[in-house]
Amino acid sequence: MSEESVDKYRVVIVDDHAMFRSGVKADIGDAVEIVGEGEDVASAVSTILAQVPDVVLLDVHLPGGGGAQVAKLVLKELPEVRFLALSISDAAEDVIGVIRAGARGYVTKTISAPDLVDAIRRVAEGDAVFSPKLAGFVLDAFSGSIEVAAIDEDLDRLSQREREVLRLIARGYQYKEIARELFISIKTVETHVSSVLRKLQLSNRYQLTRWASDRKLV
Amino acid sequence: MSELAVPREKLSRPLDAALIGGVCAAFAQHFHIPVLLIRTIAVIILPASMFGTWGIWFYLLVWLLIPPRAQRSSMALESAERAGMRAAGRKFRPIDLAQAGALALLGLGCCWALWLFGAVDPVLMAANGIQWLGVVLIWWQADHAASPRARETSWWRRLLYPLIAHWSTILVVTVGLLLVLVPDFYYQYLPAVRERPNGERTMIALVIVLFSVAVVVAPWIVRNRRELAQALADRRVSDARADIAAHLHDSVLQTLALIQRSAADEKTVLALARRQERELRVYLYGEVSAEAMLVAELGRRAQQVEDDYGVEVELVSVGDAPLSDQLRVLVKAAQEALVNAAKHSGAAVVDIYAEVDDDLAAVFVRDRGAGFDLGRIDSDRMGVRESIIERMERAGGRAIIKTAPGEGTEVRLELPL
Repeated sequence: MSEESVDKYRVVIVDDHAMFRSGVKADIGDAVEIVGEGEDVASAVSTILAQVPDVVLLDVHLPGGGGAQVAKLVLKELPEVRFLALSISDAAEDVIGVIRAGARGYVTKTISAPDLVDAIRRVAEGDAVFSPKLAGFVLDAFSGSIEVAAIDEDLDRLSQREREVLRLIARGYQYKEIARELFISIKTVETHVSSVLRKLQLSNRYQLTRWASDRKLV
Repeated sequence: MSELAVPREKLSRPLDAALIGGVCAAFAQHFHIPVLLIRTIAVIILPASMFGTWGIWFYLLVWLLIPPRAQRSSMALESAERAGMRAAGRKFRPIDLAQAGALALLGLGCCWALWLFGAVDPVLMAANGIQWLGVVLIWWQADHAASPRARETSWWRRLLYPLIAHWSTILVVTVGLLLVLVPDFYYQYLPAVRERPNGERTMIALVIVLFSVAVVVAPWIVRNRRELAQALADRRVSDARADIAAHLHDSVLQTLALIQRSAADEKTVLALARRQERELRVYLYGEVSAEAMLVAELGRRAQQVEDDYGVEVELVSVGDAPLSDQLRVLVKAAQEALVNAAKHSGAAVVDIYAEVDDDLAAVFVRDRGAGFDLGRIDSDRMGVRESIIERMERAGGRAIIKTAPGEGTEVRLELPL
């Protein structure tokens, strides 16, 4: 093992299409260290538990229960493993499902290689990665008027600032552009996004469940 | 009771739990009542109405009307069964002989009681009973005879298949027919019939025999109709499959061929792949909406721009609204902004974001390209002023353009609802 690979992030790719896995490997194999692959829930979980990677690239649709199942099973054993959802599916309920199961971001499979490497780095460092699409889904999930009496927790709604940040992401802004637009630091943007992620994972607010049931998620 | 785990669905006769035709079991499972209770009531009521025969007729009618429950196994198992890699056949639960015996005794007791009270003629009752036994035998055979496997056999073969499939079938059906038909002759000697003139007596005999035959063949006819319906349903499934195959052929296969032909031209390949992806995505995940909606329309326009100018357009939306005349203007303006970005900015990706809430529809079109000097739009870009800003103002909304040379462009379109 060469010197420089020591500080590369260790990544496991989970996808049921071998062609896609080898494509991703060819694309990002120089920038990160691919330590394993999984093609279904069982093989993914055993590979991840054996390798303990920094980041898992996780397909949303997977034989054996989907990406959400992998995240759930692994996070029970190894809470420090970070998941980045990667999917061709536009189905909002599936994407939100994986995020709620513990993934720290979502990007579409058409993402370019440098952007994917950047997203992996950001997830590995503990940040959340929101693509415009995911920001749209989340805004949708938290939209709608809330009766004040129904709010018993801070978790149940997005703050004004968080909403602004998400809208800018949905409009295609990058973090540094958002920071400039809102006159805040990039670190603050990251904090807002992480906090949205936390709310998304922990909230069981009425609207979110209604949103889910509207889409036959529950 | 294990049967209660069966999800509630249309009334059907569970042949594996049946004593006779499965009618009592069907009701028991459908309404979640203990089957023994229903059977006991049936056995008491049926003989009581025997001289009027209403109870038995009711039982037979229900038997005919309720289809036998389809034996469901997994797709793979059924396929293996068809391919002969697995033994076909139903698993019969052993009949509870004690229960059957007790019920039979109870029925006989009721008949006996009727006879004691002089309500019925015992010989007539016996004749009737024998006939019912024959009917039950033949109908039971109709339920359990296997379906002809070959669809290409002629219709009469298909119709008669259950009768001629196996020597035991033939035996059972013959015995059943004898049991049904022989007592028919006895009715000739009933006092009510005997006193009639000769011609009428022949007519009555004929009607009774024809009626008996009709009762005997009823299940075959019903079954044939059911099989026809099943064949129709099968065809619908295969039609749907053919539709999917045709769609894949027209879209994916064509695109793959085009990609191979223009493999050297990276830009064309990318555009082809992108368009195919979008199209397939709509086919697979798209929501079918009868009403024209804003987001769907924006998507169509975005795709058009993508195809025409070879840029990638990323559409994200929150909320949606039915397309009104006003919103059509918004769509037009958004398309113009997309075209401008694609033509002039030089950026490879254009982001479009649409947000609709109760009182405002907003669309943002953004690129990270060259940008331009807002002061010069009058001379340089007539399109912007005319087709975006003025268009929006006429519709009661507004357009705000944020740009600077080298900074990219963002067009913000707002329309109060």
